[in-house]
Amino acid sequence: MRVALTGAASFLGGRVLRRLAERQQQDELLVVDVAPPPAALGVRYRPLDLTEPAADQKLLDLLREEEVDTVLHFAFFTNPRRDQAHAHELESIGTLSLFAACAAAGVERVLMRSFTAVYGARGHNPHFLTEDTPLHPNPALGWARDKREAEQHAASFARRFPEMKVTVLRFAPLFGPHLHTFYTSIFDRRVVPVPMGYDPLIQLLHPDDALEAVDAALATWPRGAVNVVPRAPMPLIGALHLAEKLPIPVPHPVAYAASDLMWASGVADAPGAFVDYVRYPFLGDGARAKREMAFEARHSSKEALFAYLAYRYPGPQAPRRRREAATATDVEASA
Amino acid sequence: MSAGDKVVGIAGARRRRLHARSEGRLPATGPDLEALRARIDALEGELAAARASGAAPQGLLVALARIVQEGLSGFGWASLARTWREAYFAYHSEDVDDFGYDRKFTETLRPFFEFLYTVWWRVEVDGIEHVPEQGAALIVANHSGVLPYDGLMINLAVRHQHPGRREVRMLALDMFALLPFLAPMLGKTGAARANPDNGERLLRRGELVGVFPEGVKGVGKYYKDRYRLARFGRGGFVRLALRTGAPIIPVAVVGAEEIHPVIGKADWVGRPLGFPYFPITPTFPALGPLGLLPLPSKWALDFADPIDMQGHGPEAADDPILVNRLSEQVRSTIQRMIDGRLARRRSVWFG
Repeated sequence: MRVALTGAASFLGGRVLRRLAERQQQDELLVVDVAPPPAALGVRYRPLDLTEPAADQKLLDLLREEEVDTVLHFAFFTNPRRDQAHAHELESIGTLSLFAACAAAGVERVLMRSFTAVYGARGHNPHFLTEDTPLHPNPALGWARDKREAEQHAASFARRFPEMKVTVLRFAPLFGPHLHTFYTSIFDRRVVPVPMGYDPLIQLLHPDDALEAVDAALATWPRGAVNVVPRAPMPLIGALHLAEKLPIPVPHPVAYAASDLMWASGVADAPGAFVDYVRYPFLGDGARAKREMAFEARHSSKEALFAYLAYRYPGPQAPRRRREAATATDVEASA
Repeated sequence: MSAGDKVVGIAGARRRRLHARSEGRLPATGPDLEALRARIDALEGELAAARASGAAPQGLLVALARIVQEGLSGFGWASLARTWREAYFAYHSEDVDDFGYDRKFTETLRPFFEFLYTVWWRVEVDGIEHVPEQGAALIVANHSGVLPYDGLMINLAVRHQHPGRREVRMLALDMFALLPFLAPMLGKTGAARANPDNGERLLRRGELVGVFPEGVKGVGKYYKDRYRLARFGRGGFVRLALRTGAPIIPVAVVGAEEIHPVIGKADWVGRPLGFPYFPITPTFPALGPLGLLPLPSKWALDFADPIDMQGHGPEAADDPILVNRLSEQVRSTIQRMIDGRLARRRSVWFG
């Protein structure tokens, strides 16, 4: 495999890059991005901005020159961007250019990163979202809209070029050490406003499981979308209490308006439409990953949460461990 | 004396005793390997015990007492969060199943529901032996009573009267499953939102699943229409049973129609709030929250013979005529059982 990777600066892309760099002959791995990868990895790098007008032609030349046969597309924003136009150019149009170049260059396999959040969190969703559930994110949410468009481009190219294997991995929200996203930032505050009268189940995916899933996909290349989800979901309010947070119930119309206002004034990390994701569940169904990639997550949502908390509040300050640690030191002191 | 001894209390005293004992065993001359190992073992056991007691939740009362003890200086976000957390985990478990069913939460509410079951509505159950000991089955009942108490009572009937002590997973209407406050409550007590996918998933796991095919038309019907079954949806429950091969057990609920007699509807009030209807009963909204109190009618639940679906095979789910016929068969069975009960019933309140 001669692999090209986009989005190496993203959390998951960076992890994938590290893992591939450790395992593979380094000349077979190529990073295509706006920012160079860490020099220590010694990975080859070709600068390219997917938002450029002629990005597809440039990428096509590059893919041909390097004789790339596998493209891993991880250039997506985990966090909502204030520059929505740029995010649209990168995620939707950039993905279109990428697939156009891949198809023209005769790339055999493309792996794209996506999100279970793209299904949209709606009350009327089935409890478990299988891969053929239509994608209906909140139309007010540019963040999810661009990702759905990217998925539509992927599906359309997969249909038009059947000789190109296109795999889309829809990851549940990542939660673990070294992650700083708008979703983990919920668990950084002491007081967390939550929509009153709702307690959805949430899925938190441990990054190690996400990497395992990428490995499984690279080995099996299932066609189409596959959900990558943790072993078990957990209720949002329970998760907040486990993290020793103080959830303050807010009527949901107020929550939408207030977070929109806070987003507009630069205080909040995410616009109001994201309240959907703490109001209704969006649980991916992991059956297809198990069936076609033989992938099953090893961590549950709770374990991912605790892994994050242990990272975020290191030492004896970690919730739940505080008492445990206190008694342990007592024993040591008197022993 | 280290600072820890004050906090640990009883465990500390026991530890000191153990400590002394293991020290006593140590020979005065030279290190005896065996005694040393025994002492290390004892200490490690102590450590594990102390860890275990530290990991256990301290309980709501202890958390509250700690706040009182610490006074104003101890009153902050952190202690408030900790107290709230203890209060939460006193009634919730940390692990729920993937539909959000929380056993501890259900246990907490159970005394109240059991009061309703035994004292308030004095539920009488007949034919519970038709519910299978194990394996999937679909319980189909008539829906009435404005709020989904009937599902609750069927659940309790199977738990109490059936030797298998089985749990019925109710499929709740969208109007309940999407309502703030009621939605998480239903989820935690084992209900799932009524849709074919959820039902099939639960049946394939071999669970008992309960459905009310009448839906909103049944639960919100006028008092004058009581015990007249509405249309049974579009036969989705029959298709569900055919696809999974689960037998259908028709159940007639008598008594639930009288708990909130709907004499009028003010839908224009409910619609903006997300309710499909807004019932007016003799007590609601005239008496305010007191009107939410259900009337103490006498209830009867009749379980009929299971209707076997194995003979049809899963492909029969695509035969609309058969689906309709089976749906009608279930409906008429339930209607017949209801009519029989009503004919025998002398009083709404005393049965």
